[in-house]
Amino acid sequence: MTSQNQEVQLSKTILEMKFMKKTKEKVEKALEDKEGNAMYSNEITEEMRRSGNLVFVSTSITNCKNLIDGRLSFGGMNADIEKIMANEFAKLVEQEEKKKEKDVTDVEMAQGYSTLVNNMAKKFNKKSKNKNKKSKKGNDQVE
Amino acid sequence: MSQIEFVLPGQVVKDVKSVRGVTILGPGLRQNEDQPNTICVTQPGKLYFKSPNVYWIEGNRNRYIPKKYDLVVGVIVKKSGDMLKVDIGSAEHASLSLLAFEGATKKQKPDVQVGDIVYAKLLNAHREMEPELVCVDSYYRAGTLGVLSNDGFLMNISLTLAQKLLDIQNPLLRSLGKRFCYEIAVGVNGKLWINARKTKDVLNLMKVFQITDQNAKTDLSEVNKSIL
Repeated sequence: MTSQNQEVQLSKTILEMKFMKKTKEKVEKALEDKEGNAMYSNEITEEMRRSGNLVFVSTSITNCKNLIDGRLSFGGMNADIEKIMANEFAKLVEQEEKKKEKDVTDVEMAQGYSTLVNNMAKKFNKKSKNKNKKSKKGNDQVE
Repeated sequence: MSQIEFVLPGQVVKDVKSVRGVTILGPGLRQNEDQPNTICVTQPGKLYFKSPNVYWIEGNRNRYIPKKYDLVVGVIVKKSGDMLKVDIGSAEHASLSLLAFEGATKKQKPDVQVGDIVYAKLLNAHREMEPELVCVDSYYRAGTLGVLSNDGFLMNISLTLAQKLLDIQNPLLRSLGKRFCYEIAVGVNGKLWINARKTKDVLNLMKVFQITDQNAKTDLSEVNKSIL
């Protein structure tokens, strides 16, 4: 009994026949590829073992630290440069200022907090008053 | 951006973070060939890490090593045919083609003389090759690049100060702009070109940069206040 997994191979004499030219080329190529893989597989793994699986890309300090374009003009010295700066530099400065700014100023925070405290205080006052009323009502019913 | 530790050349950095198997290395680091997935330090200084996968070293190096896409200030030292040789402070002079300026053609070349100062971008920078500069972007537009006027003044500063000036978080250039009316070109190669309406302003600015360079460790804004 032959196993079904085994590939069907054509015999040499058949491949030598004239009408089998194309098939012969195909078979030969497959054989070569197989041999090549077997030969190089060892080397590839060795090289990979040495260099690891990480790819290292080198870059300049400009990209590391997000440095800006160093050509700047202030006070209308060079109108052309300032036009270009208005697009890029001004935006970056704005972002930077925003970062520094607090979302809520200290005064606003204090005011907000005091109103919150008042609100909460009122709520508690109401609740306690309600409770008093309820308890009074309960007392009436009992009576 | 966070500082990890002080490192010395030859030290090995392990536990390297990466995104899809890629790690970006800045100056002062290279891949370690003896151990897989580690970095070797080549320069003393502080090791910095920026998430997700960027590592670099900041030291007190004085020699500029060209890197691709750096914006630099250079002095023309030689002119031969269509090629210019530019001193950008690196070990070798960089080459700059006369055709790499905006609007330049074979017949109509820009007027650039030896001794002129250019603000240019590095197109090519490799260890074994001469660095190559251009004064146009990929759309052949000059933008901020090009020849700087002869009225200005060129000075050398340390690489660390150049990087500090180019940091958007540093308000020095902006606050000077409120006081003086000036234009400036700072190259990452440690060359700085200034131009102002009055010679006195140029001298004052020069002094500011010299003092900040000397007092690099102290707070820049303090120095700035004392001068203004």
